[in-house]
Parts: sequence; structure tokens; C-alpha cells
Amino acid sequence: MEGASTRGVLSHLSLLEVQARSRGSQVPQQPSRVKELKAKVEALTSQRDQLKAELQIHKKLQKLRAPVDGEDEEMDVDSESSELFHLMARHSELTDLLHAHNLIGGYDAITTNRGKSMCFSLATQYEGVYLDTYNLELNLKPNVRISRHNIPPFIPLNSLAEQSDLQTDVRAFLATVSQHLNAFAGRRQQLKLVKEQHKSVEVMESNLLCSILVLMFTVPKKKTPLLCMLEYTDHTRCLPTQVHLNCEDELLPDSPKWKKNCSLLMEVPVHRALTAIKKASDIV
Amino acid sequence: MSEENAKEVKQLEAEVKLLQAEIRALQQQRQDSWENVSFQFRGQMQDALAFVCGRTQDLEETVVSRLKEEVEELEKDLKLQTQMNGISLNSCITKTLPSRGPEVVQQVCLSGRSSELVFQVEFQLSELKDGSRTERRIRDLNLVLDSSDLQSLSSFLSRVEETRDLLLFFRTIRSFSEKCDDRTRTFQHFQEKFPSIVSLPKGCGSEVMTLNHPELPGCGFFIHWCLDVSTGGAVTPKIQLLSKIPEKALQMFPGQPAGGGAAEAFQSLLRILGPEAAMESIIRAVSLSERDELSD
Repeated sequence: MEGASTRGVLSHLSLLEVQARSRGSQVPQQPSRVKELKAKVEALTSQRDQLKAELQIHKKLQKLRAPVDGEDEEMDVDSESSELFHLMARHSELTDLLHAHNLIGGYDAITTNRGKSMCFSLATQYEGVYLDTYNLELNLKPNVRISRHNIPPFIPLNSLAEQSDLQTDVRAFLATVSQHLNAFAGRRQQLKLVKEQHKSVEVMESNLLCSILVLMFTVPKKKTPLLCMLEYTDHTRCLPTQVHLNCEDELLPDSPKWKKNCSLLMEVPVHRALTAIKKASDIV
Repeated sequence: MSEENAKEVKQLEAEVKLLQAEIRALQQQRQDSWENVSFQFRGQMQDALAFVCGRTQDLEETVVSRLKEEVEELEKDLKLQTQMNGISLNSCITKTLPSRGPEVVQQVCLSGRSSELVFQVEFQLSELKDGSRTERRIRDLNLVLDSSDLQSLSSFLSRVEETRDLLLFFRTIRSFSEKCDDRTRTFQHFQEKFPSIVSLPKGCGSEVMTLNHPELPGCGFFIHWCLDVSTGGAVTPKIQLLSKIPEKALQMFPGQPAGGGAAEAFQSLLRILGPEAAMESIIRAVSLSERDELSD
């Protein structure tokens, strides 16, 4: 009995020892795990609340910007911060509208030099692709004068300024310059597309303004070379005003087939016209 | 003790999982609604957002007044752009479309007006980063116009939709509406100057101005002023003189240019004098003897 109790005490002690040892290693471990998790729960809860709040705000702003009939009454914007919400909605609307002005090729007018000058951007685009944007600064006083710009020198800015009466109508002047720049950008893009899409057509000559383009075609069967000169005398357009063919076979340019091709080149951008002419097997 | 601890750990772990799932769902929801209408949170907007989310110590008055200042700046800016561009936009809605690859595609819907011409434009804008520059491209251009002169614009519009030349579209409708305004101004000017002779039966924005002498109701002249829009976007006014003179009168004066000759004579006048002076001389001719009334 005694032995048993001794054993009992001993075994109890050893049990305590084991417990103590295991607790010794567990005690600092478990609370830290709990602490860690508790901290995580706290962080996640605040993240969730943040997201909820943002979503709520987004919803409110969306409603303020496009109120659905009848719904604007029951909007639960707290009266205290409703001014803030209205300002936020208007802010986002204005930002979008200004962005839209940029997308549609607006001049992005900025008043500089304490109202004495204005800067304008002139965007160019061809067949849906936005190309280079040019900048122009006008001094407004004492009279309107072009002060700085990065428009290529072969665009005759000064004579355009005279023609469109820059002094009285800045907008008309900008419209004309923009038209010239877009036509130039378009012709240059066409040339780039010809080089990319029509490897068998050789570009013999072109100028900076892209107002002259000389192409060398190869007519199938006899592999006759055919020289084609496109002249773009109207610098406000992307289409040629004259097409001239030159060939050893003097009858070829006057053939009905090539007369038709010439009028196609007058009416359709050159890279597209070439695709059609190639399809008809008139050139290699 | 250890059991209790393990229980707590399990509970917390479950809570974490739950929260994580909730956050994922909210993030998805945020992404969806942001894509539907993307708001730009820049400048003072960011501070305002921080304030309404309770992330800042700033006072509401400060946040409101700073945002107000920025909104006023933007209003001024928009006014300037509207005036310079001759195009007034009243709504722009952007949605981000799910895209494959590195391209970002947005569906943009714009509405606005250029003078009397009301338009709605829809297109996709794709942006592709290529090194340091971004290639921006328009796709699926859709144009809706509300104008009485729609017929003269229709072939231009379908060409623009085909070539997706958004900038050309806006340059053209701007010059088109400017020329419409010129016509309206000129017609109104003549109607005010010669009220007994000039009438605008279809309103001052229409293509036709009618000239009638009050004592000769059977005779009439019409100035038909239309605007030709080429597929390339060039806007050219075409002004013609048409006449309505009874057969009998024509038979009585076979040599007079009142019939077919008048139209050609008017074209020469146009070339020599320009539209306003040419029209005025026709109006004076139609008014016959009413010199007193005319010499204003």
C-alpha cells in the first residue's frame, strides 16, 4: 500500500514533471500562436471593413453620377458628408470628361506665362491608331504670335497663320494646322504600311512631307518593271492628286486594267490599293 | 489548458479563413464595379477617399475645402477645353473589358454636342505598352448623330466607322457645325433685314430660304444652301437659286433670265461677290420697286 502510494506519489511526480516539461515548451508556444492569429484576425477585419467602405463609397459615387430615377431620394448619404460625396462625384466626372477631350483629339489648351501665352497639343491619328502629338505655344499679347513649337519645318506654319487669320481666329488656325499634321501623319503611316505589307513593292523615292512617293512594281509574266509616281499636291489630304505610270512597255500604262488601277490609287489609300492590285495579279 | 488553447487556435484559424474568403469576395466585387465605372482617385480625391474610409486624422472641413478648390480648377479647365475644341461633352462612361494578354481594352461611351449637332460615340480603346511608348488604338467605332442634315453626313459617317478615324470625325463635325452656324446667321440676318420678302418656312437652321414679293404671290425664289461632306471629311457649302415662276409669265418674257438662266447667273454672282452679297443682290432684285423700305 505504501509502496503503491510511493509509486503513486512518484508516478504523480513524474507525471507532473512531464507536464511541466511539456508545458515548458508549450506555454511560450501556444499563446504566441494565439496572439499571432488574433493579430491576423484583427488585420483581416480592418482590411475587410476598408473594402466594404470603399465599395460603399463607390456605389454612392456611381449613384451620384448617374442617378436612377426615383432612387436618388432614398440615397443614404449621411447629410454631413454629402457635400464631400457630391464633390467627389463631380471630381471624377470632370476627370473623365477632360480625359475624353484628350481622346477625341482636343487641343489640351493650357494658359501659361500668367495668361500671356497659351499652349496647345495637336494630336494625330490614322485609321484608329494614335500617332505623334505636336505642341504649339502662342503668345497672345500684344498680338498673337507663334512662340515655340515642335511641328516639323516642312509644315508651313507661318503661311497657314496668315491664311487663317491667326489674329482674330486662333481656333481656325489650329484646325488648319491640325488638318495638315493629320494628313502628313496619315501619308507617313501609309508609307510605313506599304513597306510592312508589300515587300515585293520597292519604295524608290519619298520625301519628308510624304508628298511624293515613287514605287517600283513588277508586272507578272514578263517580270516587267513598272514605275509608279504618286503626287500629293493637296497637303491637307492623305490621297494623291496625281498618279503617273512609267514602263518600258509603253502600251501598259494606257491599258484599261492599269487605267482602272490608277483611279483606284487615287481613291483608296496606297497600301490598300496595292492589296487589291496584287489580288488581281496585276503586280507581283 | 492545452485543450482550451487548441480550441482557441482552431477557432481563430477558422475565423481567419472566413475573413480571407470574405475579403476575396469583396475584392472581386470591387474589381467588377471598378471595371464598370472606373473612378480616378488622384490628388485631393485620394485624401477625400482616405477621409471617408476613416484612414486620416484630417478635419472634414479641410478635406472638403481642398477638394472643392480642385473641383473648381477642373471646372475651369473643362470650360476652356470646351471653348477651344468647339465640342461640349456631357458624359463619358468607361468600362474596362476583360482582355487576354498585355493589352488593356476599355469600352468608351461619349455623348455631347457641337453647336446644334448632338452626337453619341461608342468605341473600344486598346492600349498596348511597347517599351517606353504606349500604342493606343480605336476599335469598333459606332456613331449616332442627331441632325437635320444627316443625309449630307451619312456617307462620311459610314466611312469613318470603317476607318475608325475618331479624330477626323470630330474635326469634321466641328467644321460642319461651324458652317451650319454661318448659314443660320446669314439666313437670320436677311430675314431681319428684309422681313417682307424673306421667309424661313422650316426655321432658321434649315437649308432653304424663300424669297417672295408680297404683291406677286405666284412667283417665288428659293435659296438652297446645303453642306457637302466628302468621305475624306471636307465640308463645302453648295448654294443654289431655284425659282418658281408660272408658265404664263415665262412665255411672256422668253428672253429674261428669270427661268433657267437665273440659276446660272446666281452662280456667277456667287463666284464674284461671295455668298452674302450674291444673296442680297437677289433679294433686292426680287423686292422690285421697294427701294425705300430696303435702303435702311
